Amino acid sequence: MKTRSLALALALAFAAVVAGPSVSAVRAADDTIVFGAAVSLTGSLAKEGHLTQEGYDFWKDWINAHGGMKVAGKTYKVDIKYYDDESSPQTAARLVEKLIDQDHVGFILGPYGSGTTFSAAAVAERKKVPMVEGNGAAERIFNQGYRYTFGILSPARRYLEGIVDMGKAQTPKPKTLAISASNDLFSVEVQQGVVDYAKAHGIDVVYTAKYPENSTDVSAVISAIKAAHPDIILNAGHTNDALLVHKGLKEQNVQAMIYGYSVGPDTPDFRNALGRDANYVFGSAQWSDAVKYKGEKGFIPSAPQYAAEFQKKFGHKPDYHNAESTAACLAFQYAMQRGGSLDTEKVRDALAKLDVTTFFGILKFDSRGLNVFKPMVVNQIQNGELVTVWPAGLAQAKVAWPTPVWAKR
Amino acid sequence: MQLFFQDLVNGILTGGILALVALGFSLVWGIMNIINLAHGTFIMLGAYVTYQLFVSFHLDPFLCIPIAFVVLFALGYVTQLSIINYVVRAPVLTTFLLTFGLSLLLENVILLIWTGDTRSVTTGYSGAHLDVGGITIPLVKLLTLVIALAIGGLTQLWLARTKLGRAIRATSMDVGAAQLTGVRVAHVYAIVFALSAGLAGAAGSLISVSYAFSPSSATPFLIKGFIVCVLGGLGSVQGALVGGLVYGIVETFASQYIGAGYADAVALAVLLVILVFRPTGIMGRATA
Amino acid sequence: MIGIAGNRVAILVAALAMLALLFVPLAKSDYTNALFRGILMYGAMSYGWNVIGGYTGYVSFGNVVFFGIGAYAAALLATHGITDIGLSIVAAMVAAALFAVVLGIPVLRLQGHYFGIATLSIALAAQDLISNIDAFGATNGLSPKAATLFGAAVPYVVTYYAMWVVCALALAGTYAVSRSRLGYALVAIRENEGAAAVLGINPTKYKVIAWAISGMMGGGAGAVFVYANSYIDPATAFAVDNNVFPIVMALLGGVGTVAGPLLGAFILTAINETLWNHFPFIHTLFFGAVIVIVVLFLPRGLLALIAARRSWSLYVQHLRAYRV
Repeated sequence: MKTRSLALALALAFAAVVAGPSVSAVRAADDTIVFGAAVSLTGSLAKEGHLTQEGYDFWKDWINAHGGMKVAGKTYKVDIKYYDDESSPQTAARLVEKLIDQDHVGFILGPYGSGTTFSAAAVAERKKVPMVEGNGAAERIFNQGYRYTFGILSPARRYLEGIVDMGKAQTPKPKTLAISASNDLFSVEVQQGVVDYAKAHGIDVVYTAKYPENSTDVSAVISAIKAAHPDIILNAGHTNDALLVHKGLKEQNVQAMIYGYSVGPDTPDFRNALGRDANYVFGSAQWSDAVKYKGEKGFIPSAPQYAAEFQKKFGHKPDYHNAESTAACLAFQYAMQRGGSLDTEKVRDALAKLDVTTFFGILKFDSRGLNVFKPMVVNQIQNGELVTVWPAGLAQAKVAWPTPVWAKR
Repeated sequence: MQLFFQDLVNGILTGGILALVALGFSLVWGIMNIINLAHGTFIMLGAYVTYQLFVSFHLDPFLCIPIAFVVLFALGYVTQLSIINYVVRAPVLTTFLLTFGLSLLLENVILLIWTGDTRSVTTGYSGAHLDVGGITIPLVKLLTLVIALAIGGLTQLWLARTKLGRAIRATSMDVGAAQLTGVRVAHVYAIVFALSAGLAGAAGSLISVSYAFSPSSATPFLIKGFIVCVLGGLGSVQGALVGGLVYGIVETFASQYIGAGYADAVALAVLLVILVFRPTGIMGRATA
Repeated sequence: MIGIAGNRVAILVAALAMLALLFVPLAKSDYTNALFRGILMYGAMSYGWNVIGGYTGYVSFGNVVFFGIGAYAAALLATHGITDIGLSIVAAMVAAALFAVVLGIPVLRLQGHYFGIATLSIALAAQDLISNIDAFGATNGLSPKAATLFGAAVPYVVTYYAMWVVCALALAGTYAVSRSRLGYALVAIRENEGAAAVLGINPTKYKVIAWAISGMMGGGAGAVFVYANSYIDPATAFAVDNNVFPIVMALLGGVGTVAGPLLGAFILTAINETLWNHFPFIHTLFFGAVIVIVVLFLPRGLLALIAARRSWSLYVQHLRAYRV
């Protein structure tokens, strides 16, 4: 008896879960367009996932506050349905499937991180639902022949090129380079990219190493870097890696002309955690509020204005993770408004043909769906403030050069 | 050659902190026969307590050690009496899963309180170093090692010399006999668990200065704690200290001479070999 | 724990549930398929864990390694042009079983916590090694093209049926083991290894066989997962979730039973799914609490609860049993 009643209760519970709350607006139901996003709210990417969500939410509220989005003569409000992918690619894939199938979302905004984006892209492709992402820079995602995934950010391989260019324009000229990388999809591509670039531009690569992802101690790597006496010290990794490496470099008193990180210096965490030691550090960025691109009317007019409104809304300056997430939404907005349709296939085609300039920069995709047309910028921390120093045309301040000894920063 | 000695120094300094990471873990494992998967999360809590005191009251992180110890001690005591005590004699599987559940829960609480930001405590003197014949010795890590050794020594003294300490050791050898001689086992276990959590808190304080951390950083420290425990042998203070130093050195040299990417794999391989051939650890202390 | 014969009713219900699961794709929703495919996958992995951790009493904390090896075996075959899903499953099972035999001989000498730690280290080390080997795609991972069957391309839904087959095999295998001489030998080892040896049971032989069977179940699930997910990297193949969920599921349903793992997979998936939907920021907090509650109040699983006449007294009994 008990078995039967339990089985029944379970079946009912399960049916309730499955049939569940799929009441959320169907694609373009009446007057709301619903986007779906699986972002990391918990797990190792929780911080960056949060920045991603802020970027998406900014656009959502901005559009709705400006009277909504006009597609083919009809005005729509926009909404975004979020799930937590727990920073896990496996979960991200499942949730994108859920967004599309159960919540009937017709358009996907990407998760944070290359691994999660990769598995989400596979689902988007299979379901033929367009996904625009601003936070998965690994080129491998775009070498699969996928038609429905569009990345609005510069690819991983190009992350640290700007720092090399910037260095070459200084005197005395740096001649040697060392780079360590966290062994993950994104960072390894960043490392490979800058190694190739440096060699092609006459800089001697004296040390490379990959250490395990989520390492807690990299002192052996630091000692090896010190022994190689490089002029440029770079690290490909995430904020945690940047902090760990920079602290280690100071501890072992490693002196160089350039300290550059692929991810980290842009986030306030980095400056808060390091204090004065953060000064003179270079970070590459997809965007900064110094960029001078002008957006069209109805599409967020300029970087400074974006920064000001963002600051008012969230209480902190936007970093490039915020901006690239917002820009991913803009790509959809353009595709829908210009394409004049909410049909997923037509939106996809409009995305493929996109060629516009926004506050974030050019949004245009190559045949793989990757935005290889937008340059990166280089920021430097000067007196505790993040300023853009490269390319020269966008510089808010001159490069502080050369980097003094540790005690004088 | 200089690099070799620099690595040796790095390994020893890293090992000091790992010894403290493993010490509390080892006590609970050796004395209560529980593998506490929430130990890494306790360490993170210690780091966050230190960070908060540093940011809010500009308290020196080394002065925060006793505070983090006391806060975590109290948390450990309550956790033991309210939850762990009900499974103390249960099979491995039960305690393993229970503490895993606890760690998930606590990690989410940390995330809610302190957000997912990556943190680190940087003081005016961080990065100060000695230069000995071309080998750099970071002072903060040296101090960390000294403190870790001191805490280990104090723990050992306490276990050997005090009445409660002797009761703990008696309980770890034979629960039934200890009970017969009037030891309140539940109280002893609560103290051991609290002490272990307190030591985790102290380790967290030290980690906050030398490393960077976020709510999800618990796992790597937990795994290293595992390895160090097995290396040194369970439930002994000396075991944890020696295990920590050996692990620190092995990891550093593996990273330098085999390849940084293989550092963890080599450490795990060493662990497996020791498990199979000498399961009581390199110190050879047999435990139940 | 419930007797080796298991609860006949429960086994019947499990078999019927498996039959019912065959009809899930009729709903024509990929998400529903994915959800139930997840149940089948974790079910198979949970059965795998149950053979070694439940019946034999060797609590493995690294069984995810078999899932990972199965996944990589299939993905590697795919990079060499072999995408037949049936063949992939078989190859994955063979690879996982071989791995289990080779490592089982030294590692199964260890007991209790030491065995647990050793298995966990194996899983972690496997992930670290694959992260460094370019032939396995290192941290880039591998992304096989769509599956085929007997040389013909097959629709995506086939991944569902393939996972069903793997889980059904695991269920049937567990049933067969529980009824066989092997099953009795395993339980004898669990209850008292020394006594079992005296009775003429060769513990090493049976333990290694049990672990190999355990590996085959996890490996098969891994092979299908690769085609369902179309991408595999070390972090996914050896994910903590994939290690812990199967154990919690077996515990929830009933360790060392035939029906328990499937029941546990159903319930835990339902709980997780509900939490996910309603509490995006704090679902791990609740999930952690669920594990704590299950362990404290239901350490013998739901099946034991159902079997007991006075279930309320059982709660109290559990709480008293392991206290000091």
